[in-house]
Amino acid sequence: MSSLGRRRFLSSAALGGAAVVGATAFGSVAPEQALASPSLELDPALPDPNFAEGRISAITGSMLMVTGSDRTLHRIHVTDGTSLWKLRPTTFDAIKVGDGLYARGLKLDDGTLAADSVWVNIVNLTAHITAMERDVLHLDHHGDRVVGHVVAGTTAAVYNDTPAVSDLSLLQVGKHVQVIGAWRPDTNEVDIATVFAAA
Amino acid sequence: MLLSSQVFVVAIVLAWTGGVKLFGPAPGLAARRTALDRLVGKGRELTAYRAVGVVELLIAAALALPPVEFAEGLAATALALGFVAYLVYARRVRPESDCGCMGGKGGPIGWRSLSRACLLVLASAMAAGAGQEAASPLVVLAGLAVFVALSAELDRYWLLPLRRLRVRLSHPLAGLPVRVPLAAGVEQVERSPAYRAVAGLLRSDVRDTWTEGEWRFVSYSARYQDRAATVVFAVPTDRFVPEEVQAALVDESTEETLWRFAPTASVGLA
Repeated sequence: MSSLGRRRFLSSAALGGAAVVGATAFGSVAPEQALASPSLELDPALPDPNFAEGRISAITGSMLMVTGSDRTLHRIHVTDGTSLWKLRPTTFDAIKVGDGLYARGLKLDDGTLAADSVWVNIVNLTAHITAMERDVLHLDHHGDRVVGHVVAGTTAAVYNDTPAVSDLSLLQVGKHVQVIGAWRPDTNEVDIATVFAAA
Repeated sequence: MLLSSQVFVVAIVLAWTGGVKLFGPAPGLAARRTALDRLVGKGRELTAYRAVGVVELLIAAALALPPVEFAEGLAATALALGFVAYLVYARRVRPESDCGCMGGKGGPIGWRSLSRACLLVLASAMAAGAGQEAASPLVVLAGLAVFVALSAELDRYWLLPLRRLRVRLSHPLAGLPVRVPLAAGVEQVERSPAYRAVAGLLRSDVRDTWTEGEWRFVSYSARYQDRAATVVFAVPTDRFVPEEVQAALVDESTEETLWRFAPTASVGLA
């Protein structure tokens, strides 16, 4: 199915344009139900087998070769069902060698990780704003200078835990912020996805 | 006049830095932020930090009180050269350390602290060559202003207010295109009854998102009865009402809708 056709089909499914065939009796939508999903059984002494992080050293087909920060080599399968994030939900062709990533999925018997979700270059910074320019926030991240680029149409702000908005004009120089963004590899620059601030 | 003014510039700067080291807030913390422990041994950094402060104050007092002597300027120059050497050393052994020059909060050692130390060497050398002529308050003030400009520790007293004023006059980030960001849609999804019903089936983060009219659609990969499925949420974009979020569980290979959540209807309708 093409991307457009797929979206059209999913849209109509969500809004009730298609008949439901499963007729499965789902449980209640009570909060207890949300907690009833099977819990992970992990040995606290071992690293989580279903998680990988590192820098991409090569891409072959739909497989990512990743060198972890502890020098572990990971092989990560990206499938149609894998969610890819790089500043925003994106597609496989946006991923480049040299990017950093965090991946979550299922470790297969051959040692590869079938990824459910991959977050590329994602960073989470607590910082304060030292200066502002057009489309740029200069950040002080525990003494390190970080240049935060505002991406029009993508960058969002969350003020005082209210729903995210695209209006950044309530940000103030000198104030503390938390930034979720996409690192530009081997620089001190990030593209900002969401900035959390008090207003 | 230029040379004799430097006597006061150096005296004031040293009195300032020595005073901060001896009487400033949290000297223990400030000392720990420096790389002094690498130089003098662990546990002795606060003593060393204070000792530097005492030396600074002594030289400052000697410079400020008449008579002006060559030896005082020489001592100040030697101290300033020591600072430069320490900064180069600290930058090498612990790049993230604070210079500790004016108490803490100066940030890592960079070009500003290095050029400030070099400037102090120059000013001290000039002070050593000073005669008995009178100092000019204007030159002293100008010299001090340069030191203030190079001190990251003092930025919050003058640079930050200036930048705040500039942002208040015209905010550089005002006037961006207004649209409802994805994060607002995802938050609505995560607070919705529809999400509570299917959260246990979701395997991925947001896989795709698009908008049609007043609806934003957000799709996730899911696993249902051992088969791959897709959950798609429809979120209103013009209002924040998690209760109105709709959802469907879909098998994309067969194009079947397995389950749908509509806010008013009950779940699992055939």
